[in-house]
Amino acid sequence: MWTQIQQALNASTARVITTIANLLPGIAAVFASLLVSVVLAWIIVFLFRRSLRKVNFDEHLAAWGFQSFAEWSPSNSPTLLLTRAVSWIIVLIGLLIGISAFDVTLTSQFVERLFTYLPNVFAALILLMAGSIAARFLSRSVLIGAVNMNLQYARLLSAGVKWLVLVLTWAMALDHLSIGGRIVYIAFAILFGGIVLALSLAVGLGSKELVSRSLEREAKKATEEVENPFRHV
Amino acid sequence: MIAELTSISEQTKQRLQQIGAVDLVIGFADQRAGEDIANLLPKIHQGLSGLALKGRTVVLVPNYGVAVGDGEVVNEESLALFQYSLPAPDPSISAAQNISGAYRVIWRISEELNARACAVFISAVENLTPQWIFQLAQPVLERNFDLVAPYYLHRKFDAMLNSSILYPLTRAIYGKRVQNPLGPDFAFSTPLLQHLLRLDSAKPRSSAGHDMTLIEPAAVVAKVKVCQSILGERTYPVVDGKDLSSVIAGILAPVFLALERDAAFWQHIRGSEPIPIFGEDLTIKEESVDVDVRRLLESFRLGFSSLQEIWGVVLPPTILLELRKLDRLAPEQFRIPDELWARIVYEFAMAYRLRSIARDHLLRAMTPLYLGWVASYALEMEAVGAVTVQQRLEKLCVAYENMKPYLVSRWRSPDRFNP
Repeated sequence: MWTQIQQALNASTARVITTIANLLPGIAAVFASLLVSVVLAWIIVFLFRRSLRKVNFDEHLAAWGFQSFAEWSPSNSPTLLLTRAVSWIIVLIGLLIGISAFDVTLTSQFVERLFTYLPNVFAALILLMAGSIAARFLSRSVLIGAVNMNLQYARLLSAGVKWLVLVLTWAMALDHLSIGGRIVYIAFAILFGGIVLALSLAVGLGSKELVSRSLEREAKKATEEVENPFRHV
Repeated sequence: MIAELTSISEQTKQRLQQIGAVDLVIGFADQRAGEDIANLLPKIHQGLSGLALKGRTVVLVPNYGVAVGDGEVVNEESLALFQYSLPAPDPSISAAQNISGAYRVIWRISEELNARACAVFISAVENLTPQWIFQLAQPVLERNFDLVAPYYLHRKFDAMLNSSILYPLTRAIYGKRVQNPLGPDFAFSTPLLQHLLRLDSAKPRSSAGHDMTLIEPAAVVAKVKVCQSILGERTYPVVDGKDLSSVIAGILAPVFLALERDAAFWQHIRGSEPIPIFGEDLTIKEESVDVDVRRLLESFRLGFSSLQEIWGVVLPPTILLELRKLDRLAPEQFRIPDELWARIVYEFAMAYRLRSIARDHLLRAMTPLYLGWVASYALEMEAVGAVTVQQRLEKLCVAYENMKPYLVSRWRSPDRFNP
C-alpha cells in the first residue's frame, strides 16, 4: 500500500513539474516581451518627449483652452502625462503579447478580445477629444456673439451650449465602449432634455422684459437710428 | 499681361480693344451708378474738363447679378461708358471681400486698356461731385503720383473705426499719414495697378472670396509716390449694432494680416511723415449732437464681466487691471487713456499673429473694447468743435507712435508675455 501511495505522489509531483516545465517557456516569453517593451517604451518616450517639447505642446494646449488638462497632469505638464501614458501602453501591449505566448486557450481568447476592444477605446478617446474641442469652440462663439448682442445671460447660454455638446460627446463615447447600455441612453436623454429645458426656461422667463423692450425698440427703430450719431465705417 | 478677364463678354473685350488710346479709366462699384447714367455723365464731364487729356476716358458701371448686359452704353468722342458684370453681394462674406471683386475687375480692364490712370469709386454715388473725379485723377495724370488716397471731410462721430484704429495704426506702423488707408476711393497709376494685381494673384483663394491686398500699405512698402486729395464730404452708412462685430472682424483681419506680412518693413520705422495733399482746404460745419453712451458703456461692462476668459489670453494683467478700474468708474468719468488704447490694439495684433485663439473670435471679442473707446471719445468730444477734434485725434496718433517700440519688442519676443 505504501508503495502505491508513493507511486501516486510521484505521479502527481511529476504532473505538477511537467505543467510547470510547460509553462516555463511562456513565462520566459512574458519576461522577454516585457523587457523588450520596456526598452522600446523608453526609446519611443524619449523621442516623443523631445518632439512635444520642441513644439511647445504644453503652451499650445493651454492656449487652446485645455488648462484643466495641465492641472490633472503630474508637475502640471501635459507632456509628462502623455509620455507616461504612452510608455505604460507600450508596456501593457508587451505584457499582453507575452501572455498570448502561453498558448493557453483562455488567455489567448482574453488577449484576443482585449485587442478587439482596443479600437473602440481609441475611437472613444478621439470622440472625447473632438467633443471637447467642439464644445470649447461653440461655447466661445456663443459667448462672444451673445455679448456683442448685449444679452445679459451670455455666460449662461455659453455654458449651456458647452454642456450640451459635452453630454452628447460622453454619451457617444460610452455607447462606443458598450458601457452602461440602456441606462446611459436614459440618463443622456434625461440630462440633455433637462439642460435644454433649463436653458429655455432661463431664456424665456429671463427675457420677458427683453422681448417687450425689443418690441418697443422695433416700433421706434427708425427714430433711434437717426438719433444715433455714431458712424463706424 | 493679365491672368483673366472673367467678368466681361468676348464682344465687350473686342470693343474695348478697339477704343484706342485711353488716358483714364473710372470705375464705379455702386449699382446706382449704372441706374442713373443721365445724372452721372454731366458730373463726369465737368470733372474731366479741368484735366489735360489726350486720349479717351472709359467709365465702368456695374451690373450686379445679371448674367448678360455687358456692353457699351454710351460712346462719345472723348468718353465711353461700359457696363461690367459683378456677382450680387454675398452676405456670407465681409463687405470688404465683396468690394474686392469690383476692384479686381476694374483693375484688369484698366490694365487691358493700358490706361495711364485708374480711379475707383466705391462710395455711394450720391457723394460724387465733379471735384471728386478731378481731385483723384489729376495727381496721377499730371503730377506723376502712383497712388491718390482720399481725404474726406467728416463730422466728429463719423468714421469712428478709422479714427480709433485704422488711421493711427497704419500711420504708426508704415510711417505715412494717410487719413483713410482703406479708402475706399482711390486712383492708381498703371505700374502700381499691375503691382497690386500681381500681389493679389499670388494670394491663395478661398471658395467664398478673399480679402484683397490692402492698397495703402502695399503702396508704401513698394515705395511708390503716394498723396492725398481732399474730396469733401462723404456720407457714412449706418451699421446695425448686431453687425458691428462682423464689420470690425472684416476690416481688421486684412490690416493685421498686412502687419504680419510687412513685419520686416515696418519694424525700424519710427514716427511718421506727412504726405502731399491736394485740394481745397474745407472745414465742415459741426452741428451739436446729443450723445447717449449708455448702450456703449453697457456693452463695455458686459464684455468686461463676460469675456475675461478671452481677454485674459490676449491682454496682459496690467491692461486687465486698467480695464477693471475703468469698469468701476461712473459714466461721466469714463475715459480710456490713449496709451492704454494703443497697447490694447497692439496686443490684439500680436494675438492675431500668434493665433492665441481662433482669429474670428479674437476680432469679435474686441467689439466691447472698441465700443468703450467710442463712449470715452464721445464723452470727451461731445461739446467741442472741429479743430479740437483734429487736435484730439492727433494726440491719439502720437500715442500710437510712442507705443510702437512696445509692439516691436513684443513682436520680436512673443514668448516674453505668457498669460
